[in-house]
Amino acid sequence: MISSNSTKAGGPAVRIENLDKYYGTFHALRKVNLSVERGERIVICGPSGSGKSTMIRCINRLEQHNGGRITVLGTELNDDIGNIDGIRREVGMVFQHFNLFPHMTVLENCMIAPTLVRNQPRAEAEATARRYLEKVRIPEQAMKFPGQLSGGQQQRVAIARALCMQPQIMLFDEPTSALDPEMISEVLDVMVTLASDGMTMICVTHEMGFARRVADRVIFMDGGEIVEQAPPEEFFTASQNERTRQFLSQVLGH
Amino acid sequence: MVSLLRNQKVRNTLLQVVYVGSLAALVLAGIIIARRNLAEQGITSGFDFLYKSTGWDVNFSLLPATANDPYWWFFLIGIINTLFLGCTGLILATLVGTIVGLARTSANELAQLLGRTYVDIFRNIPLILQVFFWYALITHLPTPRAAHEAWGLLLTSRGLYVPAPNVGGVAMALATSAVIAAIALPVWLGRTSRLSQPFGQRATIQLAGAAAALACAAIILVVGRLPDAPLLDFPALQGLNLRGGLRVPPEFSALAIAIAIYGGSYIAEIVRGGFKSVGKGQMEAARSLGLSPWRVFTLVRLPLALRAMLPILANQYVWLMKATTMGIAVGFTDFFMIVALTINHSGQTLEVIGILMGGFLAINLSLAAVFNRINKAIALKGNQLRG
Repeated sequence: MISSNSTKAGGPAVRIENLDKYYGTFHALRKVNLSVERGERIVICGPSGSGKSTMIRCINRLEQHNGGRITVLGTELNDDIGNIDGIRREVGMVFQHFNLFPHMTVLENCMIAPTLVRNQPRAEAEATARRYLEKVRIPEQAMKFPGQLSGGQQQRVAIARALCMQPQIMLFDEPTSALDPEMISEVLDVMVTLASDGMTMICVTHEMGFARRVADRVIFMDGGEIVEQAPPEEFFTASQNERTRQFLSQVLGH
Repeated sequence: MVSLLRNQKVRNTLLQVVYVGSLAALVLAGIIIARRNLAEQGITSGFDFLYKSTGWDVNFSLLPATANDPYWWFFLIGIINTLFLGCTGLILATLVGTIVGLARTSANELAQLLGRTYVDIFRNIPLILQVFFWYALITHLPTPRAAHEAWGLLLTSRGLYVPAPNVGGVAMALATSAVIAAIALPVWLGRTSRLSQPFGQRATIQLAGAAAALACAAIILVVGRLPDAPLLDFPALQGLNLRGGLRVPPEFSALAIAIAIYGGSYIAEIVRGGFKSVGKGQMEAARSLGLSPWRVFTLVRLPLALRAMLPILANQYVWLMKATTMGIAVGFTDFFMIVALTINHSGQTLEVIGILMGGFLAINLSLAAVFNRINKAIALKGNQLRG
């Protein structure tokens, strides 16, 4: 329902206006404004505690915002359960710790939401699941359980699981931070493929190589605010902001 | 010599030999002393007494029992009574524990407070006091003539009277197994269709299986009813006493309630711990996929919590099974009380204590074996990462 409305509406994929978020008295997000166009690839970076994860978790209501407006694919995110469910159907999310369901096989992990939320027939859901497992290059692991896979494989399953819902937007919350170095590239490769397919992506990551390769825009956050945003080449070479330069020198310095 | 003693293997073997040797000596000495003392008192040891009739009666039995029946028959009655009380208590305790445990994990602060108060009170009062409390309460209920009635149930000082089905013994046994099948079938169907059926259809198949088994039970009951009698026999006052129906004696009710409430407070903590152990991440992932709160609970949170609870729950069940020995405090003829009576009447203390230990070992080892099987069957495969 949302998809048909919003594709006609045409507006931005995500629009965040004056977003405020508090944890108790801690002001986690301070009047953040951000608009993400359809098909745009955004990379968000910044020191820990700067509000990056909080912001993208607000986009699918894993965190409830305290002020401002979030509009996803033309639907405003408010207390309306129908809106929340509708938005979650269209927004896939990948987590730092994969969060696969350990008691289900890889295939079941990928099929549970399409069959139950989208009411897809089983055969169709399985075909979709196998297609996406192929896409993330682990079709042979379909009948295994998450605990039997390596971290990189698990994260690729998590990406496939999100893609099986055929979302219009994908959120990545530090998808490679919990991985061993040699597994980071296998996950990043999948993300690059996804980007070249035209997926709208919002990625919280410190993989600056990835940002340089695929991002349309790099956003730097600090202290709950967006400090700077720019296309990657400008961001990495000609940053105007003192805090950004300091952060970059720490991330790129070694 | 010195070098041999410094050899690790030699030294370990030597220690083992000394340990096993002294243990054997201890047991042997015990047996010799016991035999000499028994001989001095003129008691013949052995198990011949098992075939003598007891000469006393039991106040509760699921099997026919008279004072002419032999001891071995009474032991069987005792074990069945213990199992019956234990199973009733365990099921009720699990129900109470689940409700209280869920209340403690809920977001509602009033429910949390009620749950915490419950656990604080009932976990800290000794079980025997609780047994006495419920027994006193039940035996102070009104006499049969002034009994309260609700839905055909009569609460009296002589026990709880419930309507009983007028059904033959064979049909009753068949219907009971059909009800057990109604519980077991969905579990089995869930396992066998795990990989071949999607989630929604799997639940339908399980429900259909359970419904079919229950329908079978109902048909067996209707067909197997005694001729010329209504299906249900309601208790009714006749003279000074109640006739008809089934009487649940106060001893049994008091023990079952006490075990349910005391055990429930422990199980509540196990349930709470189980739910707390489920990673927030898995539930967030389920929510972010658009699954409804109910499905997040039944498909992700509950299955993972159960896996964490089961080993501790097994431990608690074994413990509660042993708590049935409180029967002796209020005069319920459980296994332990029958053993105590037998010691008094036959004097075969050592043999009877041996039977008691063997009986409880058999019950609790079977219980543990069943739970180990379940645990193994549903164990999460591979290494787990805590999210």
